[in-house]
Amino acid sequence: MTVALKVGEKLEKMPEASVLGIKTSINTYFDVIQGILDNFANARGMDVIYVTSTVPATPILNALKMLDIDLTNTYFVDCISNVLMGRGEEEENVLYIESPTMLEMIILKVEYLIKKTSRHAERKKIVILDSINSLAIHNNTKILSEFLHVLTNGLRAKDAYTVIFMLAEHSSEELENIVAFVCDDVLAVEVEEVE
Amino acid sequence: MVDHTYRKKRERCVTGIEGLDNILNGGIPRDNIILITGSCGTGKTTISLEFLIHGALMGEKSMFISVTEATSKLLKNAIPYEFFDERLIEEGMLTFIDMPALYEKLGLEKPEFTFEDIDVLVEAIGNIVKELGIKRLVIDSITSVCYRLKTEEKIRSFILRLGKLLSELGCTTILVSEISPMEQRYSMYGVEEAIADGIILLSNMERSGDMLRTLQVIKMRGTQHSRAKYVLDLTDIGVLLVPMLKGVGGG
Ligand SMILES: Nc1ncnc2c1ncn2[C@@H]1O[C@H](COP(=O)(O)OP(=O)(O)O)[C@@H](O)[C@H]1O
Ligand SMILES: [Mg+2]
Repeated sequence: MTVALKVGEKLEKMPEASVLGIKTSINTYFDVIQGILDNFANARGMDVIYVTSTVPATPILNALKMLDIDLTNTYFVDCISNVLMGRGEEEENVLYIESPTMLEMIILKVEYLIKKTSRHAERKKIVILDSINSLAIHNNTKILSEFLHVLTNGLRAKDAYTVIFMLAEHSSEELENIVAFVCDDVLAVEVEEVE
Repeated sequence: MVDHTYRKKRERCVTGIEGLDNILNGGIPRDNIILITGSCGTGKTTISLEFLIHGALMGEKSMFISVTEATSKLLKNAIPYEFFDERLIEEGMLTFIDMPALYEKLGLEKPEFTFEDIDVLVEAIGNIVKELGIKRLVIDSITSVCYRLKTEEKIRSFILRLGKLLSELGCTTILVSEISPMEQRYSMYGVEEAIADGIILLSNMERSGDMLRTLQVIKMRGTQHSRAKYVLDLTDIGVLLVPMLKGVGGG
């Protein structure tokens, strides 16, 4: 089974309001995203809120477009562009946060997008947090753990799915623990499984 | 043990700002006269306007008395809200008044008011509120009115009399108070904060180089409330609030 199929299938089996941790390596990174977007969210007509602190939204957008993934209902919260390149060209469907240390603003922008996309159509939501490791470069574990709690509790209350990325190459036991603490399940995508 | 006397439900003026209503256990206790205080650019005018628009949308007549800024300019720049509808103004649910115009009408164009002038002003505001059936009032800002009152006695007299009258008329009032960023008090003269039934403090806070807007309810008579600091975001769908993360203990 491909990584994308496996990720899609995993989410299919989880009820609304679930929180899933996905441990992925760089090799399988885009397969995981494809699995969430194509095999799960787009297939079900959901809105996707993609929080990125790893790579700016623009390159991710471009890469996903190359893979022919439909991004009509995908919105980005980009908390790394400003830090890496200063304020530049702004994309449509992307909200920018000045710094990945403004964790409260991440929660507020996610809430904003959920409310904003909820008013016309009652579409289900999925929020992707990419990644806990890049947030950990800029924040201490204590505040990160508190952040995950507030974020996931709020999203559960709204019946949204949450997916938290852990990058295998940059992981630590401490980080995996704080993620596991808020997750209903953790899926490890093994490199060996790539076709 | 639950203290039932304290808990006895006081009717609420729902602000319509979800996060704030949660902090206040349902809203501002009705008929309260409260202070929204903070330095420049912290969101006082924006939040006060949102309070009025939600009120008007819920069928409560609302009024904004602008002391410093011309309301025409305010209307052009300051209402980016998606839920704002021009018809609220056309239908008289939302009224804007320029305080300078009121001063002029009352013959109060002078640098310092006497106690009689205060009587005249309070009565005039009361009459408008009564005639139009206003249930929510914002005065932006009380600090500018206080400039013309000068003494603590006059400020006390003005706010006490205004508060009593508006409360009797069933009107819930927000007084906008302007302070400098370093101010240790919640109001320019100290009197305003002592008399008000509630204080909501807005601040610009720096945290390791990041600028955050924060909101804190310092006091609110008639309800239990959180005193925690919240981070806020001003958006076109209104003010959004989240508790400030503490991150205690380092990591
Ligand atoms: N909906 C909004 N979205 C983004 N920024 C806003 C919005 N409403 C107001 N602002 C900004 O917030 C700032 C504070 O506004 P204001 O309420 O006038 O502060 P104050 O009255 O405390 O001086 C202004 O710079 C304004 O441009
Ligand atoms: Mg103002």
